Amino acid sequence: MRSKLLHNLKLKWLYTRPLLALLGLAGVSGAAQAAPIKANTYTTVNRFDKTITGRVTDENNQPLPGVNVSIAGTTIGTTTDVNGRYRLNIPDAYAGRSLTYSFVGYTAQTNTIDGRNEINVSLKPNNTSLNEVVVVGYGTQKRINVTGAVGTISSKNIENKPVLNTFQALQGESPNLIIQQTNLNPGSDVTVNIRGVGTLGDNTPLVVIDGIVGGNLNTLNPNDIASVSVLKDAGSAAIYGSRAANGVILVTTKAGKVNSKPTVSYNGSFGLQDAKVLVHKVDAWDNAYYKNQALINSGLPPAYTPEQIQALKDAGNGTWDIEHLLKKAPLQSHNVSLSGGGQNNSYYVSAGYQDQGSNLIGNGGSGADFGYQKYNLRMNQTSIVGKFRSNIILNYTKTRNKTNSVGDNNIFADANRVPHNYNWKDENGNYLTNPVASQYNEYGVLEKGGYNQADNDEIFGAFNGQLSITKDLKLIGEFGGTIQNNGTFFRRTQVNYLPAGVYGNDLTVLDGNSKSLLTNTKLSTEYTKRINDHSFKIQLGVSSETYSQRGFQLQKTLTDPLLGTPTTGTIVDTQNSNNSIAVNSSSLLSAFGRLNYSYKERYLFEALFREDASSKFAAGNRASFFPSVSAGWIVTQESFMELVKNTLSTLKLRASYGTVGNQNVNNYQYQTTYFNYPNAYGFGNNIVGGAGTNIANRDITWEKAAKLNIGLDAGLFDDKLTATFDYFREVRSNILAPRADVPFIFGAGSPDYNVAKVRNTGWEAAITYNLRGKEVSQSFSINVADNKNTLLKLTGSASETIYNQDVFQLIRRVGEPVTQYYGYQTNGFFQNQQDIDNSPKIAGNNVQPGDLKFKDRNGDGIIDEKDKTVLGNPFPRYTFGFTYRIAYKGFDMSLFIQGVGKRDAFLRGELVEPFHYGYGATVYEHQTDIWSPSNPNARYPILANIGSPSNTNNWRTGSDLYKYDAAYIRLKNVNIGYSFSPNVTRKLGIQRLRLSLIGQNLATLSKLKFIDPETSEFGNNLSPNSASNSARQYPLPVFYGAGLDITF
Amino acid sequence: MKFYKKLLIVSVAVAAISGCKKLDIAPTDRFSDLTFWQVDANVYNALNNNYSLLYNSGLYFDAEALSDNAYSPSGDLNVIASGNATSQTGKFAGDWNNYYSAIKSCNIFLANIDKNSTLPAATKARLVAETRFIRAFEHFNLTKWYGDVPIVDKDISPEEAQTISRSPKAAVVKFVVDELEAIVNDLPSSTNLPANENGRITKGAALALEARVLLYQGDRMADVVTICEKLMNDQGTYGAYGLESSYSALFSDPNVNKNTKESILSLQYVPTLRTWQNFWDFAPRTVGGRVSNMAPTQELVDDYIMLNGKGIKEAGSGYNESNPYVNRDPRLTATIVYDRYTWVNANNTTKTIYIKPGTDPVQPGLDEYSAGSQAASATAYYWRKYYDPSALANFVSGNNLHLIRYAEILLDYAEAKQSLGQMDATVWNKTIGALRQRAGFTDAGALNYPGAADMTNIIRRERRVELAMEGIRPDDIRRWKIAETVMNGYIHGAKFSTDQSTDNGYIRTQLRKFNPNRDYLWAIPAHDVDLNKNLGQNPGYTN
Repeated sequence: MRSKLLHNLKLKWLYTRPLLALLGLAGVSGAAQAAPIKANTYTTVNRFDKTITGRVTDENNQPLPGVNVSIAGTTIGTTTDVNGRYRLNIPDAYAGRSLTYSFVGYTAQTNTIDGRNEINVSLKPNNTSLNEVVVVGYGTQKRINVTGAVGTISSKNIENKPVLNTFQALQGESPNLIIQQTNLNPGSDVTVNIRGVGTLGDNTPLVVIDGIVGGNLNTLNPNDIASVSVLKDAGSAAIYGSRAANGVILVTTKAGKVNSKPTVSYNGSFGLQDAKVLVHKVDAWDNAYYKNQALINSGLPPAYTPEQIQALKDAGNGTWDIEHLLKKAPLQSHNVSLSGGGQNNSYYVSAGYQDQGSNLIGNGGSGADFGYQKYNLRMNQTSIVGKFRSNIILNYTKTRNKTNSVGDNNIFADANRVPHNYNWKDENGNYLTNPVASQYNEYGVLEKGGYNQADNDEIFGAFNGQLSITKDLKLIGEFGGTIQNNGTFFRRTQVNYLPAGVYGNDLTVLDGNSKSLLTNTKLSTEYTKRINDHSFKIQLGVSSETYSQRGFQLQKTLTDPLLGTPTTGTIVDTQNSNNSIAVNSSSLLSAFGRLNYSYKERYLFEALFREDASSKFAAGNRASFFPSVSAGWIVTQESFMELVKNTLSTLKLRASYGTVGNQNVNNYQYQTTYFNYPNAYGFGNNIVGGAGTNIANRDITWEKAAKLNIGLDAGLFDDKLTATFDYFREVRSNILAPRADVPFIFGAGSPDYNVAKVRNTGWEAAITYNLRGKEVSQSFSINVADNKNTLLKLTGSASETIYNQDVFQLIRRVGEPVTQYYGYQTNGFFQNQQDIDNSPKIAGNNVQPGDLKFKDRNGDGIIDEKDKTVLGNPFPRYTFGFTYRIAYKGFDMSLFIQGVGKRDAFLRGELVEPFHYGYGATVYEHQTDIWSPSNPNARYPILANIGSPSNTNNWRTGSDLYKYDAAYIRLKNVNIGYSFSPNVTRKLGIQRLRLSLIGQNLATLSKLKFIDPETSEFGNNLSPNSASNSARQYPLPVFYGAGLDITF
Repeated sequence: MKFYKKLLIVSVAVAAISGCKKLDIAPTDRFSDLTFWQVDANVYNALNNNYSLLYNSGLYFDAEALSDNAYSPSGDLNVIASGNATSQTGKFAGDWNNYYSAIKSCNIFLANIDKNSTLPAATKARLVAETRFIRAFEHFNLTKWYGDVPIVDKDISPEEAQTISRSPKAAVVKFVVDELEAIVNDLPSSTNLPANENGRITKGAALALEARVLLYQGDRMADVVTICEKLMNDQGTYGAYGLESSYSALFSDPNVNKNTKESILSLQYVPTLRTWQNFWDFAPRTVGGRVSNMAPTQELVDDYIMLNGKGIKEAGSGYNESNPYVNRDPRLTATIVYDRYTWVNANNTTKTIYIKPGTDPVQPGLDEYSAGSQAASATAYYWRKYYDPSALANFVSGNNLHLIRYAEILLDYAEAKQSLGQMDATVWNKTIGALRQRAGFTDAGALNYPGAADMTNIIRRERRVELAMEGIRPDDIRRWKIAETVMNGYIHGAKFSTDQSTDNGYIRTQLRKFNPNRDYLWAIPAHDVDLNKNLGQNPGYTN
């Protein structure tokens, strides 16, 4: 055995020699390790009798570095150098054999040696993704061998999108990876889940970046991503055990390749975002007319005389609207990377800068304009020292997000609810107020009212060492972690209005900071063995994770008006000043393992397990075991399939079953704790502190998901067409949620209990068709998915809970989707007095023609609570994405369409209800389809004042009047590029030069016309306590820009 | 070798998993059950938590909008006042939840205080008495609004909360009264209270609350008289209470507000540290108000008598509808902002408030009445009472909110005496007469005992204006059973309607209705009715 090892080492040295000079140039340390071996070289040279050289090129006749060249059926081999050249010594005994050339993304080729000394090969790209290498938990697998449900997204689907957040880049790219944005303001977080909502608790999937659990996809530079795997079923995810119930997103970042020459790449884009305002007020004089209508319909005298309305018309509309608070804002992204590698090492270094300006005007009075900036620095270095392979990744990210001091919700509400006859500013630049606006002139607030700035620093590091003890046995140690330092600086400054009113006269300054450390240590071993037709792979490992966090904040009011620093009269706001806030700590100890077995590479079997023990639960409830099994059958490997192989080139069936867990709940809940806090009360004008109690649930433990997945992968026509289909069924039990069966009489909030049960079933399908012509190559891929959840148990014996959400209600009812809209069903309008007399009504409310009729569902002649029913499901169904690519000579184009096939949205607020609550004083153009005797089937009832019977009947009773169809289809991304011929650019020392035009959010089709249909009021648990959607969102920005890619 | 390696891995795994000590993580910023009560300071902190849950400024002011004193445009207040509430109405659940949360905090305190072994017994007895007072106060508020309610006199489990049933209102009242009587001896009198304990619960507070509880029952007037007389006549034992010389100073002057001998119990605030800000939505906009979230009604304004002691509609009152705010009860100016009101700012400068449409010399007139506007008052009137000149920007005030003041005891006494047929000049002079004198009346027609006049009405009107904006009016109209009258039909604002032919030109602010078979009690929140099958619902509400 020892001599064989030596033999291999010496071989390596031989191939290394031509590269030594280059490695020296690249400044990495390969030479030092190679040197000691040199002494022995002469002893082995003679053992080879024949040398074969050659060059491997790609479909464009460009050299392919890093291609594996080996003697078929042996382990003897080499890889090509930067020029695609290789040199391989062949023992005479093997002279009659063949050479195999393989490279990721290309179809492997085998050529017989046939006595040749030089063999040149041109490799063809894979038509199929079935041979690609897929990153799975704690390892990689060839796609064809994967038995679980794993979605993959490659870097080409992420690059060239003008987004700052990786999640935004992933939207629509993988079926049932559901990504929703609740707010479109730069830097806003997104809601992500895999296969929909399966629990009443947190549905956020686990994120693993470069093997380290708990990564941050919001700050990762999308351009640094090499691939993303989405682990959807237990068969793939169970190795992450207690946190895998919501699925896992595995991200692998880019790395250099061994034996590749250094390349420097730049890619950048610049463009403008134009926020399209979809809502338009009626003209001020029409608004006055509608106001009179509302008053008259309510039995009140009109507010405007005809003369006053005429005067409004003569004066024309003012500037008080959203458009005047918006501007076109730049969005730019610049990334530089350097990568390469020698025989024994490789490197990838990148730097990125991304800047997304806010479409809102102003800067709050000082500093940069509102917007979001991100700076990334990343280093990935791999060294191979004999049997030892090490990989170090370091990443630093800085983000800065500056927003206004008042909150977007207020800005859009105030812009919306004031009639169009008012102006933000007078001719002298003074900020104006008016009888409708209350404390804010948002123009002034944006320009001078201060700002809220978040400055976050994040360092991510991962060290991975692999020791190949023998050819078959590997020992892997990993250590990594994330340090986060999140800062907030908030300052409110004074803005004066005319004729009266002021904003920000409390001159508040808040400074806060929070630090956290996440560490992750893993030790594992991997044993691979092939005995005839039997292949085994066994992995076993242990891991430990810890998390700790601590923060502070200080708030002062009445600070210096110019500097924000403490001055005479400054007050410390003790309520909002605190050290040791968000003190948190948790840890997790685990063991995990995997067994892969395949027979004749046709029958595949995999088993996973993980044992986790978490500090979140009391001893005794702490540890849990999560196993899964999966199996696959590659039908097309069977001889009886030979007949159809020309058509059906690949067919694999797979199935998996297993249990995984969820522990996304707050720490310490099994312990009753008491916390002291300041400023509870006062005695004799002296402040005193208080103490509160956190009630414990001693028995809290894991949430468990039992998941079944059945899937098939198929390739047709030499895998030009590939299709994947998965069906899944999951039952989530012991769901961690506050109890829903505790009356308020109990007197305290409930900690999380293991209470509910949810079933989630669904399917997903993806089809890709590659059409590669001589000059034109095209690809189409489409993915579609659906899921349907059913609440099987709520808490104890409680079968439903109704939650008031502003004017309508939400319901959680056993046997139905987990959260639904609830209320009265409308049934047209009362058309006349006779209709009123003969129709069921809400008792005691005097309705009139033009008011809403409700359905008397139980037929008892009266409308009351018993007639309420489920009105809609707020969760997206039938999500889809479609990508089309075409390349012709130097031109290429990609087009990405994404959407949701079915979703109900309940909206409220001044954009829905005319003269909303008296808070709004406006009517919008989209609200003018109002009932009248000549418009009996209108969308909206007659106008009426707040407090009137009509208003109460129509708007205060919570009906499907508030319901909108939020299905949509959106042309999300278009990218048109031209790459200059390398023959031209190479004279400039440039390998690749591509110019592109980029468009984003170019068109949207939806029945919901006045706000972005994607926005949802719900976070990632469909919590019935979410604030209702008042449609006061930052408008969807349309982006037009240009990009440049250069590779040297 | 392979086997050895594997064995090594497995043993590392076993060691890591069994080494679970690292998993016993206790929070470092909180106390555990074992240690908390041992520390005396913590016991006081737990007591203070009970105090902080006693009541709040929202409950305090919101109540006014549920009576004929005020109108609020905001959600549930509007819905309840107009008679459109259901068992789903948020405020019904919110208030219920508030009261039971305070009760929970008290019960946790009472169940655990004996874990402390260092505080003297007498001290513990006092802390227990204070906590029992708070628990009784919450039960009283519950029964006042909801009628029959569960008595929760111990720390109950979620399962007990699912099965506990409602006790009849009489039993709840008995529980409250028994508790108040049981604790009096363990409480100090206000006279013995050091200045830095001002605001702690006293003997006087226990008696005053008992007086209120019994007065509300309507059939315990003799007991009310007895208790009031203790407070009026035995001040050596129960505390030296009296009327403050200035009515407006009680609410506005920070020094008087905090230290007055008139205060029996008040919700305590501390400037800049523990504050309330409701006034931001009560004040006219030109002097810093934000929106008008609650507005005084014309009906309240009309109940302020003339300086000569006559009601505005009485013959010889001298009331002039076109110049309505002159020669009126001085408490009108101390309470309500009317047209051309002279607003005195914190720095003693003044600002005239124009509420009549089109009259403000500076246009747009932000305080002017504007139909359907939320920023301007829906009745045209604004509030002045409780204006705090020492408040921070945006009316962030540290003034106390009076829960029970001595004036109420005098009014309780007058009402009980009248009800027992024992009203006379002596009682008058001690009560209504004294209050009017303090208010600034000088005319004998107002101060002297009016004899056989409509005394019940006079006492009720006096109670309404004296205690306006202190959350008492909704209780009164409900226990007098006049809500079905005063909460039915339109509630009005000033005489600024564009239609002067309807309601004599007074603004119709809101159409209200009150179902006497239902609305004297609030609905038990549907949430709890669903989860506790033993609760049942009050008459007239579905679910």
